[in-house]
Amino acid sequence: MQRKMRGRGMAASWYGIARTATIDRAGAWAELDDGGTAKIVTGVTEIGEGILTVLAQIAAEELGVKPEDITIGDNDTARSPEAAHAGATRQTYMIGNSVALACREAFARLVAELADHWDVEPDSIKAFDGEIWSEGSNFKTSMEDAVDVCKKRGVVPVGSGSFTAHGTGLDPEDGSGSPWQAYVYGCQVAEVEVDTVTGEVQVLGIWAAHDVGRAINPRGVEGQIEGGVVQGLGQALMEDYQLEDGHTKTHGFAKYILPTSLDIPQINTVIVEDPDPKSPLGAKGIGEPALVPTAPAIMNAIYDAVGVRITALPATPEKILAGLASLKDRKLQSVEAAE
Amino acid sequence: MSDFKLDMEVNGRRVSKHTAGHLRLLDFIRDELDLTGTKEGCGAGECGTCSVFVDGKLVKSCLMPVAKANGAKIETIEGLAGTGVLTPVQRAFHKTGASQCGYCIPGMVMAATSALRENPGASAEELKERLGGNICRCTGYTKIFEAVEIARDVIAGRVGTQALEPEGAGDSYIGNNVRRLDAPSKVSGRLRYAGDMTMPHMLHMQVLRSPHAHARIVSIDTSEAEAMPGVECVITADDVPGEDGFGVFVHDQPIMARGSVRYVGEGIAAVAAENVETARRALSKIHVAYEELPAIFDPEEAMQPGAPVIHEYASDNIVKHIPIRKGDVKKGFAEADLIVEETYQTQQVEHAYLEPEAGIAYVDHDDVVTVISPSQNITHHRHMLAKIIDKPINKVRFIMSPVGGGFGGKEDMIYQGMLALAAMKTHRPVRLVYTREESIISTAKRHPARITYKMGLKNDGKITAIQFHMVSDGGAYGMSTEGVMRKAAILSCGPYDVANVQIDTIGVYTNNTPSGAFRTFGAMQAQFATESHLDICAERLGLDPFEIRRINMMRDGAFTHTKQKLGSVSLDEVLTAAETSSGWEAGAPDMRGPARKDLGGPGTREPCSLGARFEASSGKSKRQVA
Repeated sequence: MQRKMRGRGMAASWYGIARTATIDRAGAWAELDDGGTAKIVTGVTEIGEGILTVLAQIAAEELGVKPEDITIGDNDTARSPEAAHAGATRQTYMIGNSVALACREAFARLVAELADHWDVEPDSIKAFDGEIWSEGSNFKTSMEDAVDVCKKRGVVPVGSGSFTAHGTGLDPEDGSGSPWQAYVYGCQVAEVEVDTVTGEVQVLGIWAAHDVGRAINPRGVEGQIEGGVVQGLGQALMEDYQLEDGHTKTHGFAKYILPTSLDIPQINTVIVEDPDPKSPLGAKGIGEPALVPTAPAIMNAIYDAVGVRITALPATPEKILAGLASLKDRKLQSVEAAE
Repeated sequence: MSDFKLDMEVNGRRVSKHTAGHLRLLDFIRDELDLTGTKEGCGAGECGTCSVFVDGKLVKSCLMPVAKANGAKIETIEGLAGTGVLTPVQRAFHKTGASQCGYCIPGMVMAATSALRENPGASAEELKERLGGNICRCTGYTKIFEAVEIARDVIAGRVGTQALEPEGAGDSYIGNNVRRLDAPSKVSGRLRYAGDMTMPHMLHMQVLRSPHAHARIVSIDTSEAEAMPGVECVITADDVPGEDGFGVFVHDQPIMARGSVRYVGEGIAAVAAENVETARRALSKIHVAYEELPAIFDPEEAMQPGAPVIHEYASDNIVKHIPIRKGDVKKGFAEADLIVEETYQTQQVEHAYLEPEAGIAYVDHDDVVTVISPSQNITHHRHMLAKIIDKPINKVRFIMSPVGGGFGGKEDMIYQGMLALAAMKTHRPVRLVYTREESIISTAKRHPARITYKMGLKNDGKITAIQFHMVSDGGAYGMSTEGVMRKAAILSCGPYDVANVQIDTIGVYTNNTPSGAFRTFGAMQAQFATESHLDICAERLGLDPFEIRRINMMRDGAFTHTKQKLGSVSLDEVLTAAETSSGWEAGAPDMRGPARKDLGGPGTREPCSLGARFEASSGKSKRQVA
C-alpha cells in the first residue's frame, strides 16, 4: 500500500420540510409604502441563512419593486405576526409563502384602484422593479406614482397572509402518518486522501446535488450547501464532545476541534429544482438536508481508499490506523492459513 | 484594579483614557470605546473573531492586555471603511455572499485584509493558510475564499471594480443572486448582536453552575452575596412565581435547579450586579450544600431496572420511544438471500456558533417583561415564560436579536428566564453574556446515537426488510429529544421503498450534558447508518453504490416508511446529477480506490500538509523551471 491512498464514496439522503408530524403555520403583513417602497412584517430574523434577502426577493417579485426598497420588520412577539421558529428547514417554505400571500393581497388592493383609475382590466396590470403598467395599453408609471394614486383614492395598499403546511401526527403503535407535505432529496460524492502513516484523512472534493424545489437565491443555496457539507465533514472527521463522569473534557476550541480553512474540500454544488405543488412559490428548503449525506459519503470514500470501515464517528487518525493494523493482521493470518 | 492612563491611536483618532489595568485590549475596544464590531468568540485566541491591527500587525485582541497596547496604533473593523464606502475586501464579501450569520466576519475581514496587505499577490492556497486562524461555522469558507481572491485581483488592478458590482435584475427576482441585504452591516461590524447591546442603568448577570452531575440541593445561602456592594439581586428557583418548567416537548427543566442538579454546568443561582467582575465575585459568596446522588452516564445502563431515576415522571429514564412498523419483517428476512448486521455510533457534537449565548431583559413602562436574545423560537419562548412568571401572554415580549449562528442550539430557552426574573426583581435592565466555556459545558449538543442495523436483501439488490434500533443519550433534560427521536425514526431507513420495516428510536435521560436540537434533528445520525450499511451490502452483492440505491429508491407515488403516499420524488434526478457532475466511475465498493480512473479531477483541490503551503508553491515553480 502506498502512503497516500485515494478513494471515492457516495451517499443519498432525504428530508422533510417544516415542522414534523404536525400542522405548521406562519403569518405575515405587507404594505406598499410611499415612494414605491414596501414593508414586510413577520416574526423572523436572520440566523445567517439569508432569509431576510429571500423574503425581500419574494416581496419584490410579488409587489413589483426592488429588493433593496423593502423594509423588513424585526422579529418581535409584540409587534409582528407569528412566524414561529427559525429551524426545521421551514423559513423559506413557511415564511416565504406567507409573505408571498400577504404581498399578493396588498398588490391586489393597489391594482383594483389603479385599474379603476386607468379604466383597464385588473388582470392586465403587471409590475416589476419599481414600474407598473397595463399590458395592451400605453399606461405605465412608477410604483411611487401608483401608490400615490391609490392613497389619494383613500386606500392604503396593505395585505396579510397565513400559510399552512398540513402534516399529521404519527400513530403511537405503528408510526403511520404523513409528517410533511414536502420532501427533498440529496446525494453527495466525496473524494478523500488517506495518509496511511499518520491516519489523517483529507477531503479533496465534494459533489453535492440537492433538490430545493425552486432556488429563490441560487448563491444563497450554494452557501447553505457549503456550510452544511463542512459541518458534516467536521462531524465525520474531527468534532467530538467528550465527557468523563459528566464533566466535559472539550471545553474550548483548542480541544473541541472544528474545520478551518485548510480542511475545506472543493465543493461542487448542483441545484436540482422539483417545484413543490402545494405552495405558491414552489420552493422547498436546504438548510438542514445539506449535511445529511456528507459523513456517510466520506466514510464510504475512506473504505474505498484503504478498506477500513469506520462505523463509529468521528474517523480520527487513531481509528484509521487501528483499522489499517487489523487489516494487516487479517492478511497475515490468511497468508499463514494458505501456507 | 489599578487605573492607569492610556494613550493610543484608534482608527486614526487619538484616544486618551484612564482605564483598569486588568482589561484585555478586546474589553477596552468594546466596553470603553463602544467599538463592538470586534467580537468575542472564545476569549482564548482560538477563533479569530476579535482580530484587530496593532501597529499594522494582525492581533487577537482577547490575548493582549490593554496595557501592552499603550502607545500603539490600533485599527478595528470600524476603521477600515470609516463612514465612507466599503473597502474592496468588504465589497467582495458582500458580492459573493461570504457572510452568513456574520459573527466571525469582522475578524475574517481583518484577517483577509492582513493577508492582502502582507502579500498582495498571495495565491489561493496561501490565502487559505493565512485565514487559518479564523473559524467560521456557517459558510464552509468557500464563498470567503472566493471573496478574498476577487478582492486581491481588484486591488492589484487585474480585474476592474465591476467584479464587485451586483448582478442585474434580469426579468425576475426569483432565481436571482440578489446580494444579501444584511451583508453591509456585517462586513463593516455595524450590526449589533445581543452581547453588543447596552441599556442605561444596565446590570450584569453571572450564573452559578453545578459542579456535580447528580446531587440533591440541601440548601442555598445567598445572604453573603446579596450583602456585597454592587450586587443588586441574587435569584434562585425560589424567585419563580409561576409554573417552573421549560422544554420543547416536555417542560421538565426549571429555570434554575430546583431541589436537585442533574448535570455538570446546570444553573443554580444567578447574580445581577453593577459590573461583571462584581457579579463573578459574588458567585463565590453563594454557599450551596449538596448531597451527591448516584449518577448515570450511559443510556443503555439508564434503561436497566434499578438504575438511578433522573426525573420522577419517567421511572424508566425513557424520554421518548418512537416505533414505526410496516409489513412483516420476519417474512422479509425469510425472503432475503443476504442478511447484513452492523452497529453504528455517532458522537455528541457541539453547535459551536461563534456568538455565545447573550441577552438583555427589562420591564417596560407598561409592565411588559421584555427579553432581547438570539432566540430561534420567540413564539414558543413567550408561551413558556408567561407561565413561568405567571403573566398574561401580552405582558411578555420576546425580541429576536440577530443570531450569530444557531443550528438549533438557540431553540431552547436556557437563560432568558433568569434574565426576566432578575429584571423583574430589580426593575433594571439586566444583561448576560456567556463565556465560550460556559456555552460549551452548559448548552445542548447533537444527540449521540447507537444504532443496531439489520438489512435483508435479494441477490439482485432489492431490500426485503430493515430492522433499525437506535438508542440516544438525551442527557439530563428533555429539550428536543422527543422530536429528534421522531424525525430520526421517520427518515431512518432512507428514501428507499422497503416493504417490511421495524424501526425503534429511544431517547434516554442520563446525567450528561443535555442533547437538543441540532441541524438535521436526528436525521443525520440515522441516515449515516443506512448509507454506510447500503455500501456494505453493495460490496457483498457486487453492485455499484448508485445502482443499489436506484434499485431500491422511492419513485413518484411511493409509500414512505410511515405509509405516506408521496407525490413527485426527485431522487433519481438527484442521483444522476451527483453521478454525472462527479464523473463517477461505476463499480462495486470493494476498495477499488487504488484502481479508479475518476480521481484528482477538476472538482478536487490539491491535498496539503500543514504549514507547507508557502514552500509547496515555490517548490512547484522551481520544478516548472527545471
